[in-house]
Amino acid sequence: MSTVPIEPLLHHSPLRHTSLNGARTFLPSSLNLRCHFTSKKLHSIGRSVTSGNSLGFLSSERRRSIAIRASSSDTAVVETTSQSDDVIFNENFPVQRIDKAEGKIYVRLKQVKENDWELSVGCSLPGKWILHWGVSYVGDTGSEWDQPPEDMRPPGSLAIKDYAIETPLEKLSEGDSFHEVTINLNLESSVAALNFVLKDEETGAWYQHKGRDFKVPLLDDVPDDGNLIGAKKGFGALGKLSNIVVNPDEPGADVQEKGKSSSGSTKEGKGLEEFYEEMPISKHVAGDNSVSVTARKCPETSKNIVSIETDLPGDVTVHWGVCKNGNKKWEIPAEPHPEETSLFKNKALRTRLQRKDDGNGSSGLFSLDGELEGLCFVLKLNENTWLNNRGEDFYVPFLTSAALPVESGAAQVSGKTPKTNQEVSDSGFTAEIITEIRNLAIDISSHKNQKTNVKEVQENILQEIEKLAAEAYSIFRSTTPAFTPESDLESEDEKPEIKISSGTGSGFEILCQGFNWESHKSGRWYQELQEKADELASLGFTVLWLPPPTESVSPEGYMPKDLYNLNSRYGTIDELKETVKRFHKVGIKVLGDAVLNHRCAHFKNSNGVWNLFGGRLNWDDRAVVADDPHFQGRGNKSSGDNFHAAPNIDHSQDFVRKDIKEWLCWMREEVGYDGWRLDFVRGFWGGYVKDYMDASKPYFAVGEYWDSLSYTYGEMDYNQDAHRQRIVDWINATSGAAGAFDVTTKGILHAALQKCEYWRLSDPKGKPPGVVGWWPSRAVTFIENHDTGSTQGHWRFPGGKEMQGYAYILTHPGTPAVFFDHIYSDYRSEIASLLSLRNRQKLHCRSEVNIVKSERDVYAAIIDEKVAMKIGPGHYEPPSGSQNWSVAVEGRDYKVWETS
Amino acid sequence: MEVSVIGNPQTKKIYRTELTYRELGFRFGSQVISGESRNRVSFLTHQSSKWKEIKIQSSPRSVRCEAIVSDQAPFLKPTPKSRSLEGVKLFVGLPLDTVSDCNNVNHLKAITAGLKALKLLGVEGIELPIFWGVVEKEAPGKYEWSGYLAVAEIVKKVGLKLHASLSFHGSKNPEISLPDWVAKIGEEAEGGIYFTDRYGKQYKDCLSFAVDDVPVLDGKTPMEVYGGFCESFKSAFSDYMGNTITGITLGLGPDGELRYPSHQHETNLSGAGEFQCYDKHMLSALKHYAVSTGNPLWGLGGPHDAPAYDQQPHSTPFFSDGGSWESQYGDFFLTWYSSLLTSHADRVLSVASSAFKGTGVSLCGKLPLLHQWNKLRSHPSELTAGFYSSGGHDRYEAIAEIFAKNSCRMIIPGMDLSDEHQSPASLSSPESLLAHIKTSCKRQGVVVSGQNSAALVPGGFERIVENLKDESVGVDLFTYQRMGAVFFSPEHFHAFTVFVRNMNQFELSSYDQAVEGDKAKTMSIGSGTTGAASLQTA
Repeated sequence: MSTVPIEPLLHHSPLRHTSLNGARTFLPSSLNLRCHFTSKKLHSIGRSVTSGNSLGFLSSERRRSIAIRASSSDTAVVETTSQSDDVIFNENFPVQRIDKAEGKIYVRLKQVKENDWELSVGCSLPGKWILHWGVSYVGDTGSEWDQPPEDMRPPGSLAIKDYAIETPLEKLSEGDSFHEVTINLNLESSVAALNFVLKDEETGAWYQHKGRDFKVPLLDDVPDDGNLIGAKKGFGALGKLSNIVVNPDEPGADVQEKGKSSSGSTKEGKGLEEFYEEMPISKHVAGDNSVSVTARKCPETSKNIVSIETDLPGDVTVHWGVCKNGNKKWEIPAEPHPEETSLFKNKALRTRLQRKDDGNGSSGLFSLDGELEGLCFVLKLNENTWLNNRGEDFYVPFLTSAALPVESGAAQVSGKTPKTNQEVSDSGFTAEIITEIRNLAIDISSHKNQKTNVKEVQENILQEIEKLAAEAYSIFRSTTPAFTPESDLESEDEKPEIKISSGTGSGFEILCQGFNWESHKSGRWYQELQEKADELASLGFTVLWLPPPTESVSPEGYMPKDLYNLNSRYGTIDELKETVKRFHKVGIKVLGDAVLNHRCAHFKNSNGVWNLFGGRLNWDDRAVVADDPHFQGRGNKSSGDNFHAAPNIDHSQDFVRKDIKEWLCWMREEVGYDGWRLDFVRGFWGGYVKDYMDASKPYFAVGEYWDSLSYTYGEMDYNQDAHRQRIVDWINATSGAAGAFDVTTKGILHAALQKCEYWRLSDPKGKPPGVVGWWPSRAVTFIENHDTGSTQGHWRFPGGKEMQGYAYILTHPGTPAVFFDHIYSDYRSEIASLLSLRNRQKLHCRSEVNIVKSERDVYAAIIDEKVAMKIGPGHYEPPSGSQNWSVAVEGRDYKVWETS
Repeated sequence: MEVSVIGNPQTKKIYRTELTYRELGFRFGSQVISGESRNRVSFLTHQSSKWKEIKIQSSPRSVRCEAIVSDQAPFLKPTPKSRSLEGVKLFVGLPLDTVSDCNNVNHLKAITAGLKALKLLGVEGIELPIFWGVVEKEAPGKYEWSGYLAVAEIVKKVGLKLHASLSFHGSKNPEISLPDWVAKIGEEAEGGIYFTDRYGKQYKDCLSFAVDDVPVLDGKTPMEVYGGFCESFKSAFSDYMGNTITGITLGLGPDGELRYPSHQHETNLSGAGEFQCYDKHMLSALKHYAVSTGNPLWGLGGPHDAPAYDQQPHSTPFFSDGGSWESQYGDFFLTWYSSLLTSHADRVLSVASSAFKGTGVSLCGKLPLLHQWNKLRSHPSELTAGFYSSGGHDRYEAIAEIFAKNSCRMIIPGMDLSDEHQSPASLSSPESLLAHIKTSCKRQGVVVSGQNSAALVPGGFERIVENLKDESVGVDLFTYQRMGAVFFSPEHFHAFTVFVRNMNQFELSSYDQAVEGDKAKTMSIGSGTTGAASLQTA
């Protein structure tokens, strides 16, 4: 029978796979991997669980006295030891022991009726299992997925971009650990195969099948890449498994060749057979324990007495050394050593902790010379299981007498100042950080000494630095008083604007998004658009945004493959060039849609993973970020979010950036693009965008930084500063070289219009609440695009209220963008009037907006003292003072006036 | 009794031609408290610098030997043009408002996180601006160090070094004024204690150099008050002296820099600035000097034909070629004006060096880099700020001599400025002025520390690196100004990281290739965790 090994895709698997010789060895995996390799979810930050039953045994002269640790607090220790003992260190460290749970995944294909089949995927382990899946259609080539037809999607499914579905596995019954999901298949649909991986949301781990997606073929001719399940050929490719050598003695090995599968009864149905397969799976389950360490100075003997206790089950050995002379190297202290201590390779001591009488954990006592500076240790559970303190050695400092007054001095300091509350929490906080640093510093120095594994350490340090800097930045920024981004940022960017083509145009741009989600269908979109050039120009547009021009795996163009192949479903490269020329002739600048975050591969690597590129930019897997398990990249970790459908490009690689710059310049030159619309810029650091903009010198550039607004109990929050801040931060990271779509404004308009809450349209400072209120010259306002509207409708503008939206963005500062579908709709004439008003009154991206009303049912503003507007059903008339207002445009629930 | 055992009569220094890059760092302080004798032997070297200071000190009343050895012999020409940056220590300045005027530590969490990041990055230490107006805010002699002590404690725990800048000036942004009681005296005092320009406008962020030795502050002279401040600092921070605190910078004037506040309107730097000699004490000193040199009529006021703040230097005759500055009167006035600056530096530095003697802490003072108009023969910006030397001699020489006399390092800012980014109309050359000051320091054997200018300038980091690599005058300490929101903004911090890496040769890019062969090895070390690796089991 066939055997199917499964590997959970834990983090370091790419390393295993890239070993050059065919023999692959699984190395023992350790428990403290989490700090370095696993996703952050695993190590749930700040989990300082103190186990309630941890009893501490402390004594100075081998006499036992009991310390009871309060379970709710880190520091409250009630103890009955003699008063004379000076506690110099007392800390409770959470440790995570990772147990391996074993279970199985099963896949069952069952016929229900003639052409109706059912595919069930289940798992016997507890967890929050998600089936991440998609389909391949008949005639599809390549390994990319498509979204399944609507009727296949079980309730509760969530679409992930346009290529996959995520469906949670449900518990079969309460109290049962089995989880399952069932998908109904109709063989009349053109689905050729079903692809999936299993994801555990709890741990963030992905479970694949032989390093690939699971693939259930529904047709005979599905190409077998070795990852088919239930193929009737019965896994003739057993040989494929031989390249995975599993050492059964290694307890950490996750894969076992014990797969059992039993083919069920065979029925004819388009060549499809029922089957049921089971695959063993193992998952690391974290167990929370703690280690509590108390150090005290014994005044009689001037020794440091360290007590280590833990509630870890089983034998626990402390592997330790001491530090002296300001040197953080491990050294062996002078004898006598505690009981049950052995010397390990002359480098460290090993002491087995005594099991506690009640069987819950163990403890030990170390009496050390008073001159020593500290004790370093890690815990050893068995040969391959080590525990440390979040990736660092545990370190117990013995404050020398000279240092003690300082300590108390600091305490006095906080005592003297009246703001006790603040101080206390602050000093608690600093103490924590300080311990962390101390541990880090020791770790660094010990690594420096050993010169081992430099890469890993550096990576960790860099990550840590970035994290800290980001933290410092966010606090500094928020505490820096009088943050007035508008004036600050505006004045900042005045200077560079003189020097370089800033990517922000003249300020008078009006964008037209020149396509929708269906535009690729005709196959001659460029030509169709050309015919509209005069018309778009006469409407008053100055910039046109064209769809992504490259060869793409998806017809819409957002899954680019060969960047230098500009023949797409929209037309050929020559048609594209002609189109650009045509629009230039009517005075419209053209933006290219540049997809820089990800790129679809041409070839598979030796593991069958698509991460090697072809064409003129034949990058290898070093160009792919390392932190997306799907694609086994060998680059650095992503500098932004990952887009999971295709290999994410690692922009930190010099060769990648060089190639991208060259490509952008080529597009400027060859096609004649004037600027860029940048897709999914959340995926990589804005600083790289600056680099690209500096190199390609666009006339105008705008990035799509789209993330979610903040809601409380389903209600959108009034204050969306955090949301717009993220967008402003991105723009800032590009040094203002590119603008960004004002997603904040769109979101707030949604809520305001939909629920008649027009008060949302003024922020507490009386400015527009979106990006446009903070950095108008970099905000590209819009109400709809190909993703949010069109046939996708991911986040559609409230129906029937589009004109209110346009009345807002076309009169306000920022650079407005009008969606193609709206131009060719009933709104056309109203939009045209607003466009001509904007051009006539010379409103621009930095126009002054004066909000005069933002109430429940009406919002009104006067822009540059020459245009007045109101939206909402409520009443507003501009003041009849010196200015003479006349109505310029009027429609349902909106009205715009201008001075004559 | 004080005996100088070895020493050149003028500077108490001998030059030896020997390149030393070793770190000597020991200091034993045996405090024998029998009678009153204190014995202290301190061997002090700045890491990899070319300085050695050997002090053998034994109670002020008995013997003191001091030898300062430098290899900067004039004839020693180093062979390579540029040097490695590994020996350069990098400091980063804390925000000016780190401690608020009610002794609260501002943005504590941000600072702590920031310090940790800097430590990991390999930064050597932190510069902490300590304001007179914060510490001695309420009443003379009533010092409140708690806020700054808390910061020092954090710095210490993070494992960084600390450079304290004792600031006897006020700041406009953030607004930190002189102590309240000083401000009150300033308001009541007739004729004023502040610098004053010819329009009678007072510069209230710094006391006039002319009152240095006048008992204007509740019967005490400013120098006595500064001395008390230094002593109080020393005792409050005694636990940190010499270990965490490795350097102290003395505030020498406006913004801590040794200069007159010749530009009061920060918005307009295009002018040459104005002379600040119109407070009562200045005028009377001038008068006295004029009488004593036999030209009583010259002592009635400052130059009448100097341009106003926002006027171009050439708009009036004073700074033009052959103008008053070159006349006999000009020489008279400028000599007097600059001598006050020099003697002020000497007073403050002597007060400090006697206060901090034997603490193992190096003293520093900061000069301005007045590069505007320095291509003009008259150097108007430097003249109004007080830098002048009669007969076309080196106008920085006297200052450097004062620094040398007090064993004080000189901090020169503007190491990030390059000529190409200056507007041609300003006739400015920061690069040549910097080279000039460095040469003066070298001649006097003064060690130079670097700083950048306050604002971010294009190509700044590259310029700093070039300056630090310059072998002719070794800069072994650089303080980057200054921590805050901009500093940690993604764009700037990234650039800063690159800069630090360039300095430390922190090799990152090469690990891709380097580790390839090691992979198997590293993975097999007890499961490839840092924890296991540091177990020393492998």
